[in-house]
Amino acid sequence: MKFWGVRIASILVAILLSFGLEKLGRGTDSFTQQLIVFAGLYVTLAVSLNLINGITGQFSIGHAAFYQVGAYSSAYLGIKFYPQFHGNLFVWLTLMALVGAAMAAVAGLIVGLPSLRLKGDYLAIVTLGFGEIVRIVIQNQKALGESGGLNVAPHTTEQPIMFVALLAVLCIAVCRNLLKTAHGLPFLAVREDEVASSAMGVNVTATKVIAFALGSAFAGAAGAIYANSLGFINPDLFNSTLSISVLSMVVLGGTGSITGSALAAMILFYIPEKMRDLKDVRLALIIGGLLAVGLAVSAIRYVIFNVHKSAAIRAAMHVGIIIGSVVIAEIVAFALGKIPALAGTVEGAKLRLVVSAVVLIVLMLVRPQGVFAHHEFSWSWVQKLMGKKAPSTEVAA
Amino acid sequence: MSAPLLELNEATIRFGGLVAVNKVSFKLEKGDLFGLIGPNGAGKTTLFNIVTGVYKPTSGDILMNGTSIAGTPANKIATKGIARTFQNIRLFKSLSVLENVVVGGFLRHKTGLAGAMAYLPPAIKETERLKEEAMNLLRIVDLDHVANVRSADLSYGMQRRLEIARAMATQPQLLLLDEPAAGMNPQEKEELNGMVRKIRDEHEQTILLIEHDMRFVMSLCERIVVLDHGEEISQGDPDHIRNDPKVIAAYLGEATEE
Amino acid sequence: MAAVDLSTLPQQLVTGLLIGAIYALVALGYTMVYGVLKLINFAHGEVFMLGAYVTLFISWSLGYTPGNVLAGGSWGALALMFVGSMVACGLIGALIERLAYRPMRSQPRISSLITAIGVSLLLQYGGQIFLLDGRPQNVDPKVSPAQGNFSIPLKPANSQLLAAAKALEANMAATKDAYEKAAEGKDKFNLPDDVKKLRSTSQDAERSYNDAVGKAENSSVSIILPKGQVIMLGTTLLLMAGLTYLVLYTKRGRAMRAVSQDFDAASLMGISVNSIVTFTFILGSSLAGAGAMMAATFQSGTKIDTFFGVLPGLKAFVAAVFGGIGNIPGAVLGGLLMGISENLVVWAGYPGYKDAIAFVILIAVLMFRPGGLLGSNKVEKV
Repeated sequence: MKFWGVRIASILVAILLSFGLEKLGRGTDSFTQQLIVFAGLYVTLAVSLNLINGITGQFSIGHAAFYQVGAYSSAYLGIKFYPQFHGNLFVWLTLMALVGAAMAAVAGLIVGLPSLRLKGDYLAIVTLGFGEIVRIVIQNQKALGESGGLNVAPHTTEQPIMFVALLAVLCIAVCRNLLKTAHGLPFLAVREDEVASSAMGVNVTATKVIAFALGSAFAGAAGAIYANSLGFINPDLFNSTLSISVLSMVVLGGTGSITGSALAAMILFYIPEKMRDLKDVRLALIIGGLLAVGLAVSAIRYVIFNVHKSAAIRAAMHVGIIIGSVVIAEIVAFALGKIPALAGTVEGAKLRLVVSAVVLIVLMLVRPQGVFAHHEFSWSWVQKLMGKKAPSTEVAA
Repeated sequence: MSAPLLELNEATIRFGGLVAVNKVSFKLEKGDLFGLIGPNGAGKTTLFNIVTGVYKPTSGDILMNGTSIAGTPANKIATKGIARTFQNIRLFKSLSVLENVVVGGFLRHKTGLAGAMAYLPPAIKETERLKEEAMNLLRIVDLDHVANVRSADLSYGMQRRLEIARAMATQPQLLLLDEPAAGMNPQEKEELNGMVRKIRDEHEQTILLIEHDMRFVMSLCERIVVLDHGEEISQGDPDHIRNDPKVIAAYLGEATEE
Repeated sequence: MAAVDLSTLPQQLVTGLLIGAIYALVALGYTMVYGVLKLINFAHGEVFMLGAYVTLFISWSLGYTPGNVLAGGSWGALALMFVGSMVACGLIGALIERLAYRPMRSQPRISSLITAIGVSLLLQYGGQIFLLDGRPQNVDPKVSPAQGNFSIPLKPANSQLLAAAKALEANMAATKDAYEKAAEGKDKFNLPDDVKKLRSTSQDAERSYNDAVGKAENSSVSIILPKGQVIMLGTTLLLMAGLTYLVLYTKRGRAMRAVSQDFDAASLMGISVNSIVTFTFILGSSLAGAGAMMAATFQSGTKIDTFFGVLPGLKAFVAAVFGGIGNIPGAVLGGLLMGISENLVVWAGYPGYKDAIAFVILIAVLMFRPGGLLGSNKVEKV
């Protein structure tokens, strides 16, 4: 009884929070509302990609294809059928999300199948290639607007914040539930060792295919809502750069960590958006910044590999290095700014992907397992952090 | 007369021009404690791989309880009741000791994926049940006190015992152990010897194991088959094997004139 | 579906071969790096792109700036651009290896792949900021003294059409004569009606003749080989010969092959694997630089921007896989076949799908023959 009480309570809380978020959002301008919607969409994308990459270990970098399939399904159906639809907008969105999920799941199955024999880098390239094929095929269809794009009906002028929030929560919940039950273990086992999994009775093929289908289904549902939220879509929105952006969210958060992916998604999507606002970034500062990052990374790597003091001292050294490099960046920027050729400025928008790229490289050099590695947020983890619970690392002989 | 639990009938496998296993035949009855020995490169692990579905035999047959299982994929073999451990330990490294064993037990799961995704009571109950059964198995191999430790952090001997527990979790009729004593010190081998015997006696397992340590095999196994260059050169109880000149020649070379 | 014109097939095949040469050069870089490091050098396409920019800048510094109409072709300029691009790319490749890939060697391959993706992105989008704002540029085609085309006639003009044209020639001459005789001495802008009629008859005859000549010409098939691209093909073949010699007959080459077979064993045998790896990167990158210079200079209409290397890079990678990754002749074969396939898709009437064919080939190869055409299939030992 208590179980059901907690379950129903948490579902209600989720609904209430989403509703509250929407109400809050309505108070701000439409740009901020769209930002909130995007945050939810990216969280869904990152967590769903994490299911494929992090949890099942299938290196897929064509996730944008599933997003695109969902978006175009919703757009196409909207143009054809929405005028005759006389129901609630919410119902329509739910239908579109389901259709988007289904279509994307089919695409996920198609991608999953060649993946069965491929590992690591080969699989990555194939998934990237598949993403490109989908984009090119759609780009050549008259019925889908070719490269000119499609207008989407309905265009939800009131941003579907609550819907997106619930979608993100649903995605996180499904993944978390999988991991909390024994049913998530086959996915992890396939990631760790396919031969051993098979020997223990795990149907490796089916597991991989299910992972692809589930992950792509959520991406497709998100895509459907994306289309309605934007009001207009074209193939360029879904290129490999988007796939790589979502990948960097998963990598930053820590492959295998749902919490990590969700948080990283919110941070990594927001920074580029904020950078759009920066109109004039000093060229000299960019150079100085890149230099400083390079120095900081070398220094941090040195500390990680060669300094064997306590964790606290090392943490302090890391912080010191970061502060030091910010100072160096400014000094170099100031000096370089004196040179006329480098005195100009650049729009912040141009820096978005440079930031993504730098994040990926720095992460791999400094902490390849991501910020959260494969840990999840849980109360016992918080207790461990605060020293209230002893970590279970005894290895008695 | 009922069919033997496992029967190899002239099982052969070729890799290109190399015949790795050549017309090997033997039978295992339920409850046997069988050893498979032979010099390095004799084809022992390859034989295991054929039985467990990693390779398909080029010719000949493998039968389980009278029905052919040659060419059956590895995960179906596990469902049919044959489980194994690996020569180079293949644990799920970043999973905990307990989780490794539960993967084995998951083979017999009854609740569906959808129920798990929705976190419904049947799935939760089954997870609890699987965890309990896994803990029982860990007690048998004396690893219950490290259940939540990352399996990669265990000592070598403990990792080997964990693999055995994981294989047992699939509730097999036949347990294949590939060099379970490798890398263990004499005391650990003693304990393993007793453990394997106990598993066979109290848990009704039939066991086929590959091993290099002669003393270990001789003191544990009741029947032994010897492979050399992919062919079976001798079969019988430990005394027979110990005295068979063909076996001695295979391991030590031809006896020289006194 | 558009009608397929068999007579244009030979031309498309040859064009495909020419562009395939560029893919082959870039594919060699991918295959060699994969051979020694088992790493897909995602940033290789960007090295190619930077080679094109270096070519551009060298051409500018030699006076071939946009708007300068007086410059003529110069072999010296070409040589400088060629060598400059190769050297620059070699250095850039070595730098990337040293800074981004070497620290990753102890990590699982996925980490290296992600780093490679990061470097690739950094160069593409960083270039947008630092390289002329990313606005597309052109290398002045006049740099090449080899202007014009070679023409290889395949099928002569249809004799009937030629005869028909010849027949009309006489008529044209005759009517022209008549008109000019009648118009002699008269005011050309104020001719009497009968003379005007003669004029229009003459003009009709001329038009018919020109039509017939045109038809006859169209019935003949010849292959057009731009002279610059022939040079390109020749240079590519020379480079490949040089590479083959290096890999098969020199000590360095032997060391490269050893490292690609077994990294640790080679190291134990006293080979300095680090220097071999760096050498491989320099070699592969300079070949890409050569390809970039030629693509930028000899392919008319090539626009250079920071995304110049993305598609060629991906296609060249597919070519390397197609031929058998790690296999040098395979990369060449794969590159040529890739160029031809691409042109066949265009010839078949589906130009929009030109870029997709590469990925289709990739998936097909990986599904049915993962070792590629010339490669081997390795089995994992259990």
